[in-house]
Amino acid sequence: MASPWLGVLDDTIQACGAHARPDLVERLRSRRAELAGPKVRVLVLGESGQGKSQLINGLVNAPVCAVGDDVTTSVPAVVQHAEAPAAAIVTGDEGRSLEGPGRVPAPVESVTARANRDSGAVRAEIGLPRKLLETGLALVDSPPIGSPASQHTHRTLAVLPQADAALLVSDATKELSPSELDLIGRVQRFCPTVAVVLTKTDLVPGWRRVAERNRARLEQDGLAAPVIPVSASLRLAAAKSGDKALNEESGYGALVRYLHQDLMGHVDLLRRRSVAALIHMTVEQLGAPLRERLAELREGGTDELTARWRAAGNRLEELQRESARWQTVLSDEVADLIADLDFDLRERTRRILREAEEYFEVADPAKDWPEFEEWLRDNLRSVAETNSNWLLDRFEWIARKIARQVAPRTGDVLPEALLGAESRDHIGDLRMPNVERFGLGQKLFVGMRGSYSGLLMFGLATTLAGMPLINPISLGAGAAFGAKSIFEERGNRLKRRQAAAKTAAHRHVDDFFLTYGKQSKDTVRLIHRELRDRCTTVAHELRTEIADTAKRIKQVIDADTAERGASARELARAIEQLNLLYRRGHALATTHAVRGLTA
Amino acid sequence: MNLPELTWSLLNRALDAYADSPRATNWLRGHLARFTEPLRLAVTGPHKSGRSTLVNALAGQVVANGPEPTRHHVPATRSQPALMLIDTPPVDAEAAEPGSLERICLEADAVLYLIGHPHNADPSFLRTVQDHPVARAAPVNALVVLSRADELGGGRVDALISARQVARRYRRETELAGLCQDIVPVAGLAAQAGRTMTETEFETFAALAAVPKAELEPLLLSADRFSAEEARAALLSRFGLFGVRLAATLVRGGVDSQAGLAAQLLQRTGLSELRDAIARYFTDRVGVLKARSALIGLEVVLRMEPRPAAAPLVTELERLLAGAHEFAELRMLAALRTGRARLPEELKEEALRLIGGYGDDPPTRLGVAGPEPQLRQAAFGALRLWQQYAENPVLGAAERRAALTVVRSCEAMAMAPGL
Repeated sequence: MASPWLGVLDDTIQACGAHARPDLVERLRSRRAELAGPKVRVLVLGESGQGKSQLINGLVNAPVCAVGDDVTTSVPAVVQHAEAPAAAIVTGDEGRSLEGPGRVPAPVESVTARANRDSGAVRAEIGLPRKLLETGLALVDSPPIGSPASQHTHRTLAVLPQADAALLVSDATKELSPSELDLIGRVQRFCPTVAVVLTKTDLVPGWRRVAERNRARLEQDGLAAPVIPVSASLRLAAAKSGDKALNEESGYGALVRYLHQDLMGHVDLLRRRSVAALIHMTVEQLGAPLRERLAELREGGTDELTARWRAAGNRLEELQRESARWQTVLSDEVADLIADLDFDLRERTRRILREAEEYFEVADPAKDWPEFEEWLRDNLRSVAETNSNWLLDRFEWIARKIARQVAPRTGDVLPEALLGAESRDHIGDLRMPNVERFGLGQKLFVGMRGSYSGLLMFGLATTLAGMPLINPISLGAGAAFGAKSIFEERGNRLKRRQAAAKTAAHRHVDDFFLTYGKQSKDTVRLIHRELRDRCTTVAHELRTEIADTAKRIKQVIDADTAERGASARELARAIEQLNLLYRRGHALATTHAVRGLTA
Repeated sequence: MNLPELTWSLLNRALDAYADSPRATNWLRGHLARFTEPLRLAVTGPHKSGRSTLVNALAGQVVANGPEPTRHHVPATRSQPALMLIDTPPVDAEAAEPGSLERICLEADAVLYLIGHPHNADPSFLRTVQDHPVARAAPVNALVVLSRADELGGGRVDALISARQVARRYRRETELAGLCQDIVPVAGLAAQAGRTMTETEFETFAALAAVPKAELEPLLLSADRFSAEEARAALLSRFGLFGVRLAATLVRGGVDSQAGLAAQLLQRTGLSELRDAIARYFTDRVGVLKARSALIGLEVVLRMEPRPAAAPLVTELERLLAGAHEFAELRMLAALRTGRARLPEELKEEALRLIGGYGDDPPTRLGVAGPEPQLRQAAFGALRLWQQYAENPVLGAAERRAALTVVRSCEAMAMAPGL
């Protein structure tokens, strides 16, 4: 039988394969085999105590399914046609068990009771020679649907996908409960042909009203399902007495007609509907993850990357601005530093000079020079040390300040060597000024020169008194004059020496000032240059790094976007294909609607 | 002092502590007044579970037939102490108005929770009832009633027997059992009709019984067939198919008076069993249940209006609850009767007697009638015996735990001042 639905189903199986869902392929294949066969499975389901098993017993006119007032049915029972009555309990888990399903023959009357007790049983199978079943109809009794977690519910729902039609059993003592209505909706997704069988109409007088309300409620909820009221006890009584009228009264006549004519008469439509539902579900299952992924792609997961990219750009700009600023700051600071250093040096040297001058007011360079020289040397050294330490300290401070501006987030960017500039000897040699010696000969000469005038003066005067030129008085005066001139000469010479020493000190300090000042300025410039170079390098490195990062992020974003676009197109195409399948499946179900099945 | 007396004094102390708060005073006074009233029994359950029908059946007359909640006072009779029946709105999730659950919990001393089919029963209401610091001590104030026992058995004459089997399974196995004292099946509609049967109705039954069996049986096959005649339709709407079948069978079996039929219906619809359970678990222990309600009320006050003066009361309340052996006794009573707790058969009877299953006064409990020294001696004897059981390694852990409860009951009796 080459039905159009087989083709659509095969295409769906292929689509499942393409989407790497071997589980679905497996399921659809087995379902396809079932659908291609002649059997029509009608699942009887409902909440507990509604009379599901009794309904089947009534239909086949034999107590094949165990009934009771408490929860009785715990495994599904399949009732189908057989030439002679036969029954078996199927054990083992069909899907997982290693041994595979086992079949244990059992007597027809007690098979379900035994299967319900047997914890290993998965279903009971019963074959009966009935005209109703001859056409391939198989009735499936199921455990009650209750709480979603219970094993019974689970078992029934596991059978549901194999059903071609379902009878929801609800007793006439009350209307369909919200949970039952919800169940119908759920069942229809798997198996679109559902009828509600209202049982136990013998028990309550108002069952007609209940049936009407149920019909109204179903219509209101948009659930297409006919309501068929039946009474199993009337049917059994009718079977016992052979009373045709009673049988009709029991409602089973209508139910059998529904099964026989509406269901079995339109097997092809049933198949189409089942296939449509199957395709619908499969497409939904396949499509949901696709749509999710598509939505995810469209949402764009690059937010974080883009944010990082933007941050990198901002960082780069900031660095650009900062570099101009820190250079200005650096040169300003260095200029300040030079001025300060110069002033400091000048002031210190001046003080030394003042002290030196005061010293030489009294001291005799001839005697005290070595002492002075040592003092001057010490003082100048300490000046140089203080000054250069200050320079280094200032520089360190400047360097840190600039470093903070250049690379606020990186640690110490300054090399230690930069600050360790060695201090050299700037003091030089201090030569002793030329001190003329006032030796004995000179003293004699000076004394003689002084005494000569005295001798002559007084000698001439005494010659007038008749004395010879050289006489004791003139000799005495000569000696006195000689001594005086020697003293005077000594004083003069000291003055001259002091002046010379002062000049020498002056010159030396000046020399020191010059050399040290030059040296110091050179150091400042050197460090300045080095600092600038270093900072420029660091800033540059930082910039390159950030620029690189930004570039990489941009590349990733670009690649990602391209990939996203590609996969989004891919997904959209896949979804479109699934939708096409869905439409084809839908068309299957709606081609020729048959009255009766759609209620 | 026992639990009711302690509760009474605690309530009075609370009244002193809250003398300046009119709301609290009103509330506490109300609870004091409730103490002396008859037991308030709320009949509650989901939509269409037969609450009003059961209230009528218990009251013996049609007192509740509308959707409004009603209260009905059942005066004391020989077989039954006074009761205040409360018909409540349905407690389904969708139908219930908010707060109605809490109101029922606060208003009632005990609760009958009606469920039609136990398979789909929703125990959340019972959980709410027990969800209170005081109530959590022991779920002693609830009975589950399978109110549509006839439908459970498909309306057959023996429906109640199979409903009893269902109830037995549920009271041992399921979550429901942990939330209530017992599970009792009742065919509510037939029970109500049986309690309110009129003479004409009996006559109709008598006439039905006179019809030959071959003619009657097809009539009784379905509700449709039976209600073909107007008189029979009225009968059907009152009794239900189960009630009609049962009554017809009974009359045919030889019951020849209206009172006889009513008594038989009472038995066979499970109503007498329900009344026994109410008596055993609720009205016999009215003091304990009243104390329980009062303690819940007191807890509410202490929680809503905390104040320094009430701090000792909080401690006192906690101590009272921790030491309330009466709750443990009641719970144990139900556990022994329903089979949740097991003791060897010969011990079970004695344990039931000692924890007050046959009467709360010491002579009944001890099974000795006599002056005080004799009673005290008996109490000490029982205490020693049960202490041995409690330590007997032959018994299982659960049995020894049960024995410990009995030991505490014996201790209480042996130490009671005015035995």
